[in-house]
Amino acid sequence: MSARAPAVVFFALAGLAPLVVRDAFLLDSLVLILLWGSAAAAWNVAGGYAGQISLGHSAFFGLGAYGAAVLGARYGVSPWIGLLVGAAIATVIGLVIGYLSNRLRGPYFVLATIAVSQVLLLGASRWRGFTAGSEGIPVPFRAGFWTLGIADKRIWVWIILTLAVLVYLVQVYLERSRRGFQLAAVREDEDAALSLGVPARWLKVAAIATSAALTAMTGALWAQYVGFVDPFYVFSVDISIRFALGAILGGLGTALGPFLGAMLVTTVETYLRAQFGGIGAGFVGIYLILYGVALIVMVRFAPQGIVGWVGDRFRRRAEVAGSPAAPPVSRS
Amino acid sequence: MDVIPQLVASTLLLGGLYALIAVGLTLIFGVMRVVNFAYGEFLMLAMYLAFFAFSRLALDPYVTLVLALPVFFAAGMASYHVVMRPVIRASHNVQVFTTVGLSIALQNVALVLWTADARTVRTEYYATTVRIGGAALNFAQIVAFVVAVACTAALFAFMRWSYTGKVMRATAQDRQASSLMGIDTDRVYALTWAVGIVCVGVAGVLLAPVYPVYPTAGLQFVLIAFVAVVLGGLGDMAGALIAAVIVAAVEVVGSYVLGTAWKEVLYLMLFIGILVVRPAGLFGQRGAEALGT
Repeated sequence: MSARAPAVVFFALAGLAPLVVRDAFLLDSLVLILLWGSAAAAWNVAGGYAGQISLGHSAFFGLGAYGAAVLGARYGVSPWIGLLVGAAIATVIGLVIGYLSNRLRGPYFVLATIAVSQVLLLGASRWRGFTAGSEGIPVPFRAGFWTLGIADKRIWVWIILTLAVLVYLVQVYLERSRRGFQLAAVREDEDAALSLGVPARWLKVAAIATSAALTAMTGALWAQYVGFVDPFYVFSVDISIRFALGAILGGLGTALGPFLGAMLVTTVETYLRAQFGGIGAGFVGIYLILYGVALIVMVRFAPQGIVGWVGDRFRRRAEVAGSPAAPPVSRS
Repeated sequence: MDVIPQLVASTLLLGGLYALIAVGLTLIFGVMRVVNFAYGEFLMLAMYLAFFAFSRLALDPYVTLVLALPVFFAAGMASYHVVMRPVIRASHNVQVFTTVGLSIALQNVALVLWTADARTVRTEYYATTVRIGGAALNFAQIVAFVVAVACTAALFAFMRWSYTGKVMRATAQDRQASSLMGIDTDRVYALTWAVGIVCVGVAGVLLAPVYPVYPTAGLQFVLIAFVAVVLGGLGDMAGALIAAVIVAAVEVVGSYVLGTAWKEVLYLMLFIGILVVRPAGLFGQRGAEALGT
């Protein structure tokens, strides 16, 4: 059985589910799992594979969301074009941040990414003439695939699934290709990689820019799906953490991990909202407390995430059975 | 009214408070090499402490100040031992996510317990102003400034002359060597973390009569503190002090010239600019940002 089998099963189930499931709530949950999974996986390209931990990825998510929403609402441009424009701007900013990352290591890089997302948040919420300011932008609904005015949630599942598979394949490329191996070498020991002639700087910049573009695409589709863009949400540190949390829970630097992590986070969140949401406004924070505690506990006790943990079990069993052990899952 | 004296006075008042917040943050980084993303949440908790002491027990925030010292020292010790100690030798990334996790948890504990409503401490001297020279100054801000400067000075004296301060500085310089000299680095870390939390606790109580408190109130101040800390060079206490005044000046002059709406953008741009041009801070040595990686 191939190591990719769990992923094939995961995406196949997601793709086939709309044929069977008719329940709008379940389909909505599936769309959100795939969306947040794609965003976590896009974060993983920079954070997991390149080891460039960012807590400002909401900058790219917001750029994508605004790109599609502003162009659509103001100029009647198709959100598909808006998605590409948002991704292009995010790529440029990703290139700049990636360039900076070479000078800034560890906590400095984290701080720089937060600052960039905060600048965009303030810009979007204050530049009333262009972005409609802090009220946010409602996304106009125009029926049709070209305008992404789709009421049928089953179609949405397939659209988002396409994005999810795209991000997944980018990650697989990073696990299989020469470039990917070089990137892993840079992550583990940059100086050693440099001494072997690996273009460390170029690889990190490319990884961050790719991650930025993919995150922006997720943001654009999210905005079209949800129908409203709020600057205080799309550019918040909270959703940057959400991307990182999905990837960490699932397994940093693993291709399927972020999707599993996002599934866990989204399911728990939906469940707790349903459980506690009705009791009082004060309870909205309960799942966020769990977020925080989960983050502390995960990085301490299972830094390799779900995929790494399950992988360990399998490997141990395989070793007992006498077959050669699989290479260890790398972690940063 | 003359503008220049007012701007200078406002800068100094704001700078004194920012300095106290920034000094605690930079102390923790300097000694422990940990960027504490949960720092702002302790500020928020201190503001809530002042609010509840005032509304339930009718305690003036300046009385609460004395109360806050042991409370936040204990909170610092507890949070260090429960959350930070297990990851103190882990990688930067693990530490970043641990403090971020602590930050989210504390923020939302406040949200669940006390709701998202903004609360204010309305003392009778709430709107009292004092005229000094050509400038009109808020009384609470003056007190905050004086206490903040006193605390910062005390901390500097402590670091400079006390034996414990020397031990802390030794640990900051070389973790291994100081450990070999018989210094219990674990105790030093616990103490450093707790002293840093006390700084921000005092700052929080001082801020309570001036600013409203809500669960995410810490964020705006901690962002400013991060700007000051990086500007001054992470871990450099004197640098943080000067940088705090610079940030305050940017904020005060910026809001005067551009209006308050854009002042945050201004200092964040300053922050990014500094990171690009001089990542080790204005007074830092080159390469300091890579220390401890």
